[in-house]
Amino acid sequence: MVTVLEMPEITSPITVNQPATAPIPEVERGIIEIESVDFAYGTNKVLHDISLNIPPRSVTAFIGPSGCGKTTLLRCLNRMNDLIDGAGITRGSIKIEGLDINAPHLDVVDLRRRVGMVFQKSNPFPKSIYDNVAYGLRIAGITKRTLIDEAVEKSLRSAALWDEVKDRLHVSGYGLSGGQQQRLCIARALAVEPEIVLMDEPCSALDPIATAKVEELIRQLKEQYTIVIVTHNMQQAGRCSDVTAFFYLGRLIEFDRTTKIFSNPAQRQTEEYITGRFG
Amino acid sequence: MEGLADSRILIPARTKSRRTQAAIEQGIKAFFGGNALVAVIVLALITIFLFREGFGFFGQNLANLRLYRQAGLEYVDIIRATAAQHEALSRKLSEIRLRQVRVMEKRNAPLDEINAALASFDQFASAFSDTAENLHGLVSDLTEQASGLKERLFARAELLAQRSQLEQNGEHDAAAKIVLPEIDRKSAFDSLHQGAATFESVSAEMTAKLYNLLATAPPLPDPGGQKAFEQWKTQTREYLAGLPAASEKLRSWSPDTAIPWYRSISSFLFGREWVTASFWQDWYGIVPLLVGSVMVSLVALLIAVPLGVASAIYVSEVASRHEKRLIKPYIEFISAIPSVVLGFFGIAVVGQAVRAASQSSFFKWVSFFPISERLNIFTAGCLLALMAVPTIFTLAEDALRNVPRGFKEASYAMGANRLQTIARVIVPASLSGIVSAILLGLGRVIGETMVVLLCAGNRIAIPDFTQGLGTIFQPVHTMTGIIAQEMGEVVRGSTHYRALFMVGLVLFTITLGINYLAQKFVARFRMSIG
Repeated sequence: MVTVLEMPEITSPITVNQPATAPIPEVERGIIEIESVDFAYGTNKVLHDISLNIPPRSVTAFIGPSGCGKTTLLRCLNRMNDLIDGAGITRGSIKIEGLDINAPHLDVVDLRRRVGMVFQKSNPFPKSIYDNVAYGLRIAGITKRTLIDEAVEKSLRSAALWDEVKDRLHVSGYGLSGGQQQRLCIARALAVEPEIVLMDEPCSALDPIATAKVEELIRQLKEQYTIVIVTHNMQQAGRCSDVTAFFYLGRLIEFDRTTKIFSNPAQRQTEEYITGRFG
Repeated sequence: MEGLADSRILIPARTKSRRTQAAIEQGIKAFFGGNALVAVIVLALITIFLFREGFGFFGQNLANLRLYRQAGLEYVDIIRATAAQHEALSRKLSEIRLRQVRVMEKRNAPLDEINAALASFDQFASAFSDTAENLHGLVSDLTEQASGLKERLFARAELLAQRSQLEQNGEHDAAAKIVLPEIDRKSAFDSLHQGAATFESVSAEMTAKLYNLLATAPPLPDPGGQKAFEQWKTQTREYLAGLPAASEKLRSWSPDTAIPWYRSISSFLFGREWVTASFWQDWYGIVPLLVGSVMVSLVALLIAVPLGVASAIYVSEVASRHEKRLIKPYIEFISAIPSVVLGFFGIAVVGQAVRAASQSSFFKWVSFFPISERLNIFTAGCLLALMAVPTIFTLAEDALRNVPRGFKEASYAMGANRLQTIARVIVPASLSGIVSAILLGLGRVIGETMVVLLCAGNRIAIPDFTQGLGTIFQPVHTMTGIIAQEMGEVVRGSTHYRALFMVGLVLFTITLGINYLAQKFVARFRMSIG
């Protein structure tokens, strides 16, 4: 059974996909449309019939216990799973702005430029802060110094890091604190001006103060970007997401506005997970 | 009670007393500690032995150099050098002739015509070499005198050593029986010194003849040849102008001028000649061996670094799992081939093939082809490269694989393609690891013995660098090769024996330095990948 919710804050409506067998509803388009996706690592099937539409310019949180497939789904959105031998989508489709991202002719380089990613463990390159942020531009073939300078400043400002590093742009990114490194990675992802930013547990290795800064940043970024965030932290999902998807054992259990999920979940499993009774 | 007994079945109670337990632990500790200690002691002993045997060289070499002067060999060598210069000029004349002939052959001139055209030149050349006849005569006379004196001096020194040995042992009677032959050095040197006067008259005569000859030098038909000939003429004039300096050197030479102690070290480190078991004078200069080792290693690295690093990049970043399974063990398998087998292969296949290729018409445009030596720097370098590739490959692949996955993912997630990721992220991040792999490969190559002994050609001479790239097709001898070749034949404790130990020490220092540098780079690599 599927219901189309009224979502005053968000422009496009959201579907809640009931466990696997539910039919696909007629809904208005999200920026990302995932339709009955199955995913397997070799013979090990980890995602079962996932369907959901992610609304633009909002924060979508994927929650669920470890091993439920939320990171796998996130990595499907910019085809990072291509790097793993034998892994791939076995059924269904993922469309971004109406384009099937698994279509054979699709330029995966272009896709990844449009769908940026921030990883669980901050992973700045062993280069200077400036070179880290400029990396995406340089590989895209931009050589004009003034353009790169501008973009570096803009993305560092967007990542709320500019004031902290503007005097030491040319020292190694390793000299920064953990939280700063993670914001540097966000700035690096923003530098190529993606439309969508995927974040895979971006705060799991950070202390509470650094986490608060990154969360604040996420709230600001949704003005311009569509953000999908995987998190283990219920409070974090509650604090900074607009919509939340709850996964369990490779299936999408519930997808709804965050306020609804956290106050009045439709599924018993969701409620039990959120209240900490399992997971 | 029952419950307690049950639990004892699972974990048996301590049957050994605390004391036996402690003794066992002590024993284990002693066993491992003892092994480590033995390794350390053996290493220390080897090092000490190397140093002890090696450093004795300097004293003996100094005595060797002093004898060289005292017996007047040095004096004769001054004259010999001028004779050698004359011979070199003679050789250059024949080179010029050869070039002429080649030029004319290209124009399809018949042999008779060539000979006719060069007749006056040939006459000139033979007249030139005839001018040195008296000089050569003088050299061989003096050589006899000086080597006779050296033999007598050497025999006397031997007896002296024997006597002092006996006296040390307390056998004074036996010591007294040894009679030291008196050597009349003064008269010996007087007759030697007459050589200076003879040299002056000989060189004056030669100078006059040569100036006449130069004035009547015939022209050459080919402008290139003529140019070389003109060059030769200036060289000859310079040679003639240098003769008075030689005779001045002869006059001022004295057998009693002291040889400073550091000459013993500098003649080893900077000596350009390694001559042993010679009837005349032994020289222990490491430069030709060092240059040989370095040249062979450089060629080997030039081949092995691209091969090793590129295949490491391929295997760690590009290859499919199946390819990885095939390539990696295969390359590592090369290191299992015994170096002597590689040496056979080098002689029978590589050397032969390189020479055959150099003789083919396809390579006619290469100025230094065809090569005459089958065994040369290049042949040895190729095979050493084969030995270095597994080392470089394995270590570089390790370094590349240890680049955190996050770097790669971040790069791909930014829209980088595989080449960009490799060139801009993975290789820079693992660069110090790759450099240390290369250094360890160099260490492997420079210490390798069997292959160079078999394939480097073993000619003890500094290669002629004026040939440019052709230099690498000349035979050389190496530090490792000379030790392996000569150590079995030397008299224990002789200067030669100790000289070989010194070469070993130099080799040891070089490899130690290389390994130290490699470790530095590994440490940097660990830091750079966090």
